[in-house]
Amino acid sequence: MTALLETRGVWQRFGGLVANSDVSISVGRGEIVGLIGPNGAGKSTLFNLIAGVLPPTQGSILFDGEDVTHMPAAARCQRGVGRTFQVVKSFETMTVIDNVIVGALVRNTVMREARRKAHEVLEFTGLAARADVLASDLVPAEKRRLEVARALATEPKLLLLDEVLTGLTPTEAQTGVALVRKVRDAGITVLMVEHVMEIVMPLVDRAIVLDLGKVLVEGKPAEVVRDPKVIKAYLGDRHAVGA
Amino acid sequence: MDKEFAARRRRDLIIAAVLAAIAAATPLFVKDVVVQNILILTLMYAGLSQSWNILSGYCGQISLGHALYFGLGAYTTELLFTKFGVLPWFGMLAGGVVSALIAMGLGYPFFRLRGHYFVIATIVIAEIGLLLFHNWEWAGAAMGITIPIRGDSWLKFQFLRTKLPYFYFALVLCCLAWFVTWWLENSKWGFWWRAVKDNPDAAESLGVDVFNSKMGAAAVSAFLVAVGGSFYAQFVSYIDPESVMGFQFSLLMALPAVLGGIGTLWGPVLGAAILIPLTELTRFKFGGSGRGVDLIVYGTLIVLISLALPRGLLSLFSRPKKTGAAR
Repeated sequence: MTALLETRGVWQRFGGLVANSDVSISVGRGEIVGLIGPNGAGKSTLFNLIAGVLPPTQGSILFDGEDVTHMPAAARCQRGVGRTFQVVKSFETMTVIDNVIVGALVRNTVMREARRKAHEVLEFTGLAARADVLASDLVPAEKRRLEVARALATEPKLLLLDEVLTGLTPTEAQTGVALVRKVRDAGITVLMVEHVMEIVMPLVDRAIVLDLGKVLVEGKPAEVVRDPKVIKAYLGDRHAVGA
Repeated sequence: MDKEFAARRRRDLIIAAVLAAIAAATPLFVKDVVVQNILILTLMYAGLSQSWNILSGYCGQISLGHALYFGLGAYTTELLFTKFGVLPWFGMLAGGVVSALIAMGLGYPFFRLRGHYFVIATIVIAEIGLLLFHNWEWAGAAMGITIPIRGDSWLKFQFLRTKLPYFYFALVLCCLAWFVTWWLENSKWGFWWRAVKDNPDAAESLGVDVFNSKMGAAAVSAFLVAVGGSFYAQFVSYIDPESVMGFQFSLLMALPAVLGGIGTLWGPVLGAAILIPLTELTRFKFGGSGRGVDLIVYGTLIVLISLALPRGLLSLFSRPKKTGAAR
């Protein structure tokens, strides 16, 4: 079976800065893939290229067998790409349920259906009790959850999670991990950018490490964390020698 | 929860029907022409502000150039009437369509602008429109157009002996703008507009067609405002560029919504119900001697209200957070 998502030789330059160079990755159906790497590795850029915020300078992106390299974000959402934002972007003047309805409208044109779908998603993500609260009144962990709920309401095939577990308390992070597993069990493929290693590694099936815009290592989480190249990228030469 | 939502929608509709019925009955008790005049203007501005609110309140694209669409409605109607003998009713529709098309044409370049830049563009475009009409000989230039009086007639929508037909038309216009807002509020467009206002990037990622959302809002908003402009032209039976396209109209459309509660269903009506009588009364009581006392009183009141209730008068009525949406 072909991969759900594939990037082929993707380059992204911002003026003289090369954020991604020759990145080729693939994400299979039903996988949870972690995209990790130190600060400035080009994770967010790659993430935005996949979400359709901007087209790559060079290379192509395939989703579900279709070339989506130059497709805008809204059209990708219709094809089945859902995303969250690293800096949460709730619709602050709208209630939680209304936020989620916006997402649900992608596949439900009848309002009543969209509303029903939104309630279903709130139930699934554990936000049901907060349905009628304004998004601006949510606590940070709930806002993260709302980002996920909104994206899930679009009924994606691939869910892109941008640091949804970062900055949460350990308990909140564990609830988040449980939610990601639940999402995968519902048949949705997950690609997550994260830098809290100890939370991501037990969760993902496969990890892709980026460093200086390139794919450094790719493989099972247990192998990746022991790879000298990864340790070097994160901690510097001194530690790599000891490994 | 769905039941609660449906009940709230129904309650809004019932309140609107009751208010409309009360408004419709007022001419039975109010015979004073001056007061009737104030009521007509109040209803008209409530409708205009409600229409402005669709683009600027719901979709968040603040326009201070809606006088352009008001004027276009007035001019289209009267040019068709005086030059080609087209009845104002058709002129009204034509004015609406012309304005909606122009709003979309202008939206094409301007909806790429965000925030203050968009506001400035709307002001500039309306001023350009004003200048064009000032210099357009065929359309009467600065002299304007006097609508020929041919006696009371529903067909030509002109009445000399009574103001009542104007009153009822203004009421219908106000109700129409309210109903369109009510209806769109719980539609895909309504949700898209609010999403675009709050966060266009997030909206885009959820499959919202941001650009076309704005275009749709602009078209509906401009159409309704132009119908208001047509009505106003018939009501005053004389138009010139300043009197239908002046900047004050842009302000008088925005202020009631801002004062009452921007982006809310009831804000524009509430704002107009307070602001317009206030405008007229201060002018009546304090104005006329060239000292501008009316404007001082009027301005002070607006400043006081906005200081006390920055989210609009409607925030007085909104219940605690539990119920969510401010309305």
